Amino acid sequence: MQEYLELTIGAILVYNFVLSKFLGICPFLGVSKSLDTALGMSGAVIFVMTLASFVTSAIFNTILHGPVQIFGREFELSYLQLIIFIVVIAALVQLVEIILQKLSPALYSALGIYLPLITTNCAVLGVATINAGAARGIFKSTLYGFFAGVGFSLALVLFASIREKLKLADVPKVFQGMSIALITAGILAMAFLGFSGLC
Amino acid sequence: METVLIAFILMTLSGILLGCIIGAAAKFFFVKSDPRIEDVNEMLPGANCGGCGKAGCSDLARAIVAGECVPGSCPVCSLAVVGRIAAYLGVDAGSSVKKAAVVFCGGSNSKARKSVNYNGINDCISASLIAGGPKDCRFGCMGLASCARVCPFNAIEVIDGLACVHSDICTGCGKCIESCPRKLIRLVPETAPFHVYCNSPEKGVEKKKNCDVACIACRKCLKAAGEDQMKIEGFLAQVNYDNMPGADVIEKAACPTSCISSPENHFPGTLKKENAAR
Amino acid sequence: MSNLHHDDHIYFAGGVHPEEGKYLSESKAIQEAPLLDSYTVILNQHIGAPPKLIVKKGDAVKKGQLLAEAGGFVSAPVHSPTSGTVRNIEDCPGPMGVPLLAVVIDSDGKDEWGSSLEPIADWENTSPDDLKKRISDAGLVGMGGAAFPTHVKLSPPPEKKIDHLIFNGAECEPYLTADHRLMLEYPESVVEGCAIIARVLGVKNIYIGIEANKPDAIKVLREKAASFGVNIIALRVRYPQGAEKQLIYAVTGRKVPAGGLPMDAGCVVQNIGTAVAVTEAVKEGKPLFERVTTVTGEPLANPGNWKFRIGTPVSKAIELAGGVKYSPAKVILGGPMMGFAQKNLQVPVMKNTSGILLLSKEQLVQYESYPCIRCGRCVDACPMNIIPGPLSTMIESGEFELAEKNNLMHCIECGSCAYVCPSFRPLVQHFRRGKAEINARKRKMKK
Repeated sequence: MQEYLELTIGAILVYNFVLSKFLGICPFLGVSKSLDTALGMSGAVIFVMTLASFVTSAIFNTILHGPVQIFGREFELSYLQLIIFIVVIAALVQLVEIILQKLSPALYSALGIYLPLITTNCAVLGVATINAGAARGIFKSTLYGFFAGVGFSLALVLFASIREKLKLADVPKVFQGMSIALITAGILAMAFLGFSGLC
Repeated sequence: METVLIAFILMTLSGILLGCIIGAAAKFFFVKSDPRIEDVNEMLPGANCGGCGKAGCSDLARAIVAGECVPGSCPVCSLAVVGRIAAYLGVDAGSSVKKAAVVFCGGSNSKARKSVNYNGINDCISASLIAGGPKDCRFGCMGLASCARVCPFNAIEVIDGLACVHSDICTGCGKCIESCPRKLIRLVPETAPFHVYCNSPEKGVEKKKNCDVACIACRKCLKAAGEDQMKIEGFLAQVNYDNMPGADVIEKAACPTSCISSPENHFPGTLKKENAAR
Repeated sequence: MSNLHHDDHIYFAGGVHPEEGKYLSESKAIQEAPLLDSYTVILNQHIGAPPKLIVKKGDAVKKGQLLAEAGGFVSAPVHSPTSGTVRNIEDCPGPMGVPLLAVVIDSDGKDEWGSSLEPIADWENTSPDDLKKRISDAGLVGMGGAAFPTHVKLSPPPEKKIDHLIFNGAECEPYLTADHRLMLEYPESVVEGCAIIARVLGVKNIYIGIEANKPDAIKVLREKAASFGVNIIALRVRYPQGAEKQLIYAVTGRKVPAGGLPMDAGCVVQNIGTAVAVTEAVKEGKPLFERVTTVTGEPLANPGNWKFRIGTPVSKAIELAGGVKYSPAKVILGGPMMGFAQKNLQVPVMKNTSGILLLSKEQLVQYESYPCIRCGRCVDACPMNIIPGPLSTMIESGEFELAEKNNLMHCIECGSCAYVCPSFRPLVQHFRRGKAEINARKRKMKK
């Protein structure tokens, strides 16, 4: 049980994808102008990360991990891990987008515009390689993917809320726009440093 | 060598496999959409200024393809772009006269009288709520730069208490029109040789008390240009922008209050263009 | 002032206590202003539909004669302040900077009475509806400042049960003493007016709320009030004690629901000046064509309280009050907290002009305004318990929807927040701007 708790707390707070591993900074800065879009993006990220973790860890655990028998000979394929993950995740997100558009237009209109943004997102690829690096099982990988998404969402929602307040502030002209956003992100990351050592 | 071969074969296979799956899914879950919308969107400026009245460029692209708008509805595009979109879709380009915003007031601080001190928020709408603003003329520019702040292209500059539009930078998006509580800003063809820089419908005597450069409706310009090229509404001469008079009218009319002026000569003081640069 | 006796037990949170400045004029008896050569009577002197003009250029009119009749239910007629001829019907400068249509009357000096309203001596046996009609015909509006037609306030919809009638004699605005003098010099008219309005509404609980800094007025009114069943309540001295919602809370302990009217708390609030005008309208048949106005301020030679005809230009009013010792830096119609600065002194006295205040250059220190330092003084001072500081930054950065969500529309523009702000922020101006913007957007949405 403790193992799972550590996994959860670690993914959300201590090794937060955005503020501690600095993955997925692009959507973090791009989609955080208002809380509404940040919430939509959060939903999309959690969804894709969970799905991608499941699929990639399934591939990793069946094919890439350990020697594989091809034509009666044994091959070690783990060096193909990164490139396979990229292809699989990109195809997966495309597929999800196409299916969503047809089957659930309501969900598509809520998440759809964010899906292409995540296709080549490093946070999604990151969760897959981290799972592979730690040689986690399928269940644990999926769980980790889900909570990594939750951690991303937490950071995104916090940041979007701060940026909404920032709109009311009288920011000096040189700091306006992205500069003050980056400074804020830095301070937020420093705050998250306080969680280090928790697990 | 074997490793390279295996990697090559494996990646090719997985590529083909995934490609087939996506292809099949795209076919199976096909949702009809018009590829032309994407293409037109590419050609539009992408500034999302809203000058066309639609919610951004992609919405206008959809409307143009659907035939709800003519390609010329985008006030920012150059003529060439409008022409390209029209040619691509095979439709008429529509209205394509390039328009620029003009502030119809010449009452700079040195020309218009002020009998009170205004010490409040630097915003035209706020000032207009207090005793009708600082200047004595109730119709003129207050010079508090609300329009300059909303202009996405920095084309408006306040010089000596008067907002002036740099017509070469102005794209005619029309955002400033809403920001002016006095409704002083209008979109007119950029090619107009001159404007009557006054907006006050009051009688000439009343206007003259408040401002040196007010239109006093003496009709000299009407005589010089002809009735169909200029008109008088109330006590205010106006250029007929559908049938514009020539530039020589400025000389011929010899406006007694120098209320008529070409856009280049209108700026009070020197043209400080570097301030208005993007 | 805290040692003054007050008998309200509950009391609104917030508020400020600016320097009163009432000493200039509070001991000066009300004087009748001499007749002028001409008067400029603005037609639309009230909130609501503009009245319909019934005289034309060159017409001879008499004092009290109808110039324009009510243009709807929420509207009030306008009467001639003296006898003479209509010189012109033209735009004249209005108190808000927007010109308003006005009837200019040249006085013939005879000041002949010509009101078509018959005096009602026995009002106690007159039906409430007849009394209400009289109040409406006499062109009565709220004389405290809002100028809302009085008869509309006296016609609550049947589902609203009115059980309290409150008269506002707080006069919490600094410098103003017109209501104070009215209560001292016309106490019978005040309480009788209260009783007449109570008869119209059929209300038994009648209160007059007076700030405790007017002990003489409280004493005089207490002597007269008992016979009419009117209760006098001495209120704590705190601005804005005279604001409708704060007054209702102090007198009844009830809170007007957010966005509601006093009638939602079962109350009707009227001004003392209106009560006197009601008595005159009923007992003498006199329409509202004159009012008591305080002309005060340091630059004035002789500050005092004057009974001006409606339509007296402010410049003339200042002249009548002895002129100025030195040129004022600012002229305000109303009190210093909520009044409106004027740029043209040809503005005439209107039905709601409670004061003409002149400020000297020394009083009018113009501070530069600084960014909000989040000290929270405005939050403490706000009598409506909203958050003025953050609201102003929201409006500054154009977040009008956010401001509306944070109860901007509840602001009563009393100015307490701007008074206490150490950064000298023009908070009320921000709120007016925000309200104007939100109202404009709402109108657009409706279209």
